[in-house]
Amino acid sequence: MMLNDQILLIEDNPDDVTFTQRAFRKNNFGNKIVVANDGAMAMKLLLPPAGIVALRPSIVLLDINLPQMSGLDVLRRLRSEEATKLIPVIMLTTSNDDRDVRASYECGANGFVRKPVAFDDFLCAVKSLGLYWLEVNEQVRPQERRSG
Amino acid sequence: MEHRRRDARVGPEQLLALIDNTSAVIYMRDLQGRYMLINEEYERLFNVSREDIIGMKDHDLFPAEMADEFLANDKVAAKSGGPVQFEEIAPGDDGPHTYLTIKFPLLGSDGEAYAVCGISTDITDRKRAEQEVRLFNVKLEQRVRERTAELEASTKELDAFAYSVSHDLRAPLRSLHGFSQLLLEDYSDLLDETGVSHLRRLQVNATLMAQLLDDLLRLSRTTRVELRRQSIDLTAMAESILHDLAAEEPDRTVKLSVEPELHDVGDLHLVRLAMQNLIANAWKFTGGESVAEITIGSMLRDSQPVFFVRDNGAGFDPRFENKLFEPFQRLHSAADFEGSGIGLAIVQRVVLRHGGAIWAESVPGEGATFFFTLASPVSLSEQRGEDDAK
Repeated sequence: MMLNDQILLIEDNPDDVTFTQRAFRKNNFGNKIVVANDGAMAMKLLLPPAGIVALRPSIVLLDINLPQMSGLDVLRRLRSEEATKLIPVIMLTTSNDDRDVRASYECGANGFVRKPVAFDDFLCAVKSLGLYWLEVNEQVRPQERRSG
Repeated sequence: MEHRRRDARVGPEQLLALIDNTSAVIYMRDLQGRYMLINEEYERLFNVSREDIIGMKDHDLFPAEMADEFLANDKVAAKSGGPVQFEEIAPGDDGPHTYLTIKFPLLGSDGEAYAVCGISTDITDRKRAEQEVRLFNVKLEQRVRERTAELEASTKELDAFAYSVSHDLRAPLRSLHGFSQLLLEDYSDLLDETGVSHLRRLQVNATLMAQLLDDLLRLSRTTRVELRRQSIDLTAMAESILHDLAAEEPDRTVKLSVEPELHDVGDLHLVRLAMQNLIANAWKFTGGESVAEITIGSMLRDSQPVFFVRDNGAGFDPRFENKLFEPFQRLHSAADFEGSGIGLAIVQRVVLRHGGAIWAESVPGEGATFFFTLASPVSLSEQRGEDDAK
């Protein structure tokens, strides 16, 4: 399995972690889901100190409401670093507050998913999300960009 | 003729009578400020007789500062050659009184002033009233500022509350629904039909509650968002809403009629939200008609456009018209028509925020008509002013 077949889920709600894992499994996306329970842990995985191999997931699923370092803080940080600025980030939120959507895109999010209450809807959301970001959309890697 | 003219001639006694029968204070002083004449009101107020005061100066009667001012004003009047108006302060029984004083010089045959006359009217009450009004206005402005701040604070609080509701109350619902699903998928062999049905009902209700939360938020948002007025093409708006509804249910036969050229001024998003709800209602409640009819039009009332959305659907019992617009009030059973009962409450809030009115008429079984205006004619100019101020 290639490293970039991984998905990083940054989510503090254990129930939502369970549902997301289940939804990916049910949609037969074979990706390994790495879970970070907060922003600090995500930072450690994505931007580790020198000498430690960094996680380079195909996509990051990022809950907007995280304790301490918020989802938007994490996103801003990722976009400001050369190593992580091209990783697709999908924001996950419970609300569909316009301000959250707007702020997410302003900070450089690639997508926005409102976690639906009905599990079936959540499955659909994960399915379209996975189809688009994992299969249809080709990855642009920093090296390719530089050479091209 | 001559006789009569002599009778009509006015003598000093008559002139004295004239100046003595007024509430104004009248006096005459020479250019050194020495009193020549005062009227009875002067005598009464300052407790000095007409005889005694002759030759006295203001400095003999009043505190030096006041007397200085009176003398200075006398000099101004003497120089001016005509009447001059001053506001002066003199002592009274209950503290200082304010007078509106007219002073004018008496001119000799050489055209030079030799005396100054003054007529002073006590305007203390008026000044006091003016002061009270000023104070009241200051207090009122302060109250308005306070109330505005309070309102802003409570709006912010409501905002935070709504945000919290949308986040924090939905998450547990998702868990309820999700784990019910996991039970159904992973433990179905341990559940009989009743057990499965119970879990399904749990899911239905979690979904329903999520919908209610969304509706509640939408309702609160209509009250909170800032109005941005612009010209609105209601005809195009109605047609696009109907188009969307027809696309969702292509099998339905609905006779649609939208009056052309419906225009008004309002907040585009809010008005669209209101129209959406009204038209969706008409669409929903005509679901049982073989040939449904929905008409959107306008009429004039007090030279102001009144818009209406009319349908030939289920209608409502007119006795409950007052309940129509209350949030979460439903006049039909959930089995007949689904919905949370928030739609018309949203419509009403939108209309009220525009300063308009909304009302409805119905004959049960024959349809309903909802009328609304976007601004009351009297408030229209005020609202324009308010918008200009923004």
